[in-house]
Amino acid sequence: MRFSFIAPRQKHLFSFFTKLWLIFIASVFVILNIFNLFLIYKNSSFLSSAKELDSSRAVLEKNIDNIDEQIDLILKQKALAEEIYANNIILRDSIRNLFDLVPDQITLSRVDMKEDSLVIFGTTPTKDLYNFLLASPLKSIFHTSSTMFYLTDSGWYNFVSTNRIINTKSAE
Amino acid sequence: MDKSMEKIDVIKLLIYLLVLIVVTLFMILFVIIPNVREYKESQLIDKKASVHQDRVQNILSDRNIELSNLSSENRRAIIAFMHEFSADSFMDYAAKFFTQVSLVQLDKKAHKEEFVEYELKVTTSLKSPVNFYQFLEGLNRYENIVQADFPIYMESNESKISTVFTIKVFDINSTK
Repeated sequence: MRFSFIAPRQKHLFSFFTKLWLIFIASVFVILNIFNLFLIYKNSSFLSSAKELDSSRAVLEKNIDNIDEQIDLILKQKALAEEIYANNIILRDSIRNLFDLVPDQITLSRVDMKEDSLVIFGTTPTKDLYNFLLASPLKSIFHTSSTMFYLTDSGWYNFVSTNRIINTKSAE
Repeated sequence: MDKSMEKIDVIKLLIYLLVLIVVTLFMILFVIIPNVREYKESQLIDKKASVHQDRVQNILSDRNIELSNLSSENRRAIIAFMHEFSADSFMDYAAKFFTQVSLVQLDKKAHKEEFVEYELKVTTSLKSPVNFYQFLEGLNRYENIVQADFPIYMESNESKISTVFTIKVFDINSTK
């Protein structure tokens, strides 16, 4: 038995218009959230990348320190080696200059060389020859120069020449 | 039949529009904008770290080049410093220039800690000190860092020249 002239309509909780709007609003919300998640992901990715770069930079800086130490050591060794090599050449030249100073007529029997003094023992035919040919150049090199002569049986002179450089550093 | 699309309810439309605007504004103002700000900051941090790392990398490669150049330029000195001193080989070297050679190690002086000092006594049969000059020149090419030093005593006996002098050998242990 029917109580209505029309057939019953199916009733929805939300109308099509409402559904459409709800879907639209939800879509906008979801899209904005996806964009937000993307920002969060990129943000953490940048931060972790910066952290990795910092730690790798620390390793590189440590390497630079090690290399700097090696460079310092090499420079120190280079300077020391050059100084030592130069000292050897200076010593050779000092000895060579000394022997070049001695004329053929004068014979040396002993030479004591120290950093600030030179003692020469030798034989000379005459005092004048010694004074002209050896004493003068020695006086020009050293601050103090004194010579003692001993007459030998053959009529020549044995001499001992003591020469000193007054070292200002040691005097202080 | 749903006739909601045919007869649009203006009130509902306005309410939905308002909800949309509120939701969108809320998301943008309170969620997205702060995150964009953080994004920019972290991007700047990353960029700075990258630039800093590149700079350090460049410095490292420059230093590496400098080190390899220095090493190759001073190879002989570096090897000489590393080489352990042997008294026997030094006496063999000195024997090339002198007839009699003896080497005695002296006590280490406190102010010369990096060196070990030896007293070298040599005799040459020649009446000229040429061998001595050659010996001193050769020291600069010797396998160790060796310095000849004062005092030097030279004495001429008949046909020989006897010489006593100090040599200073760099002690590698002092740099360790």
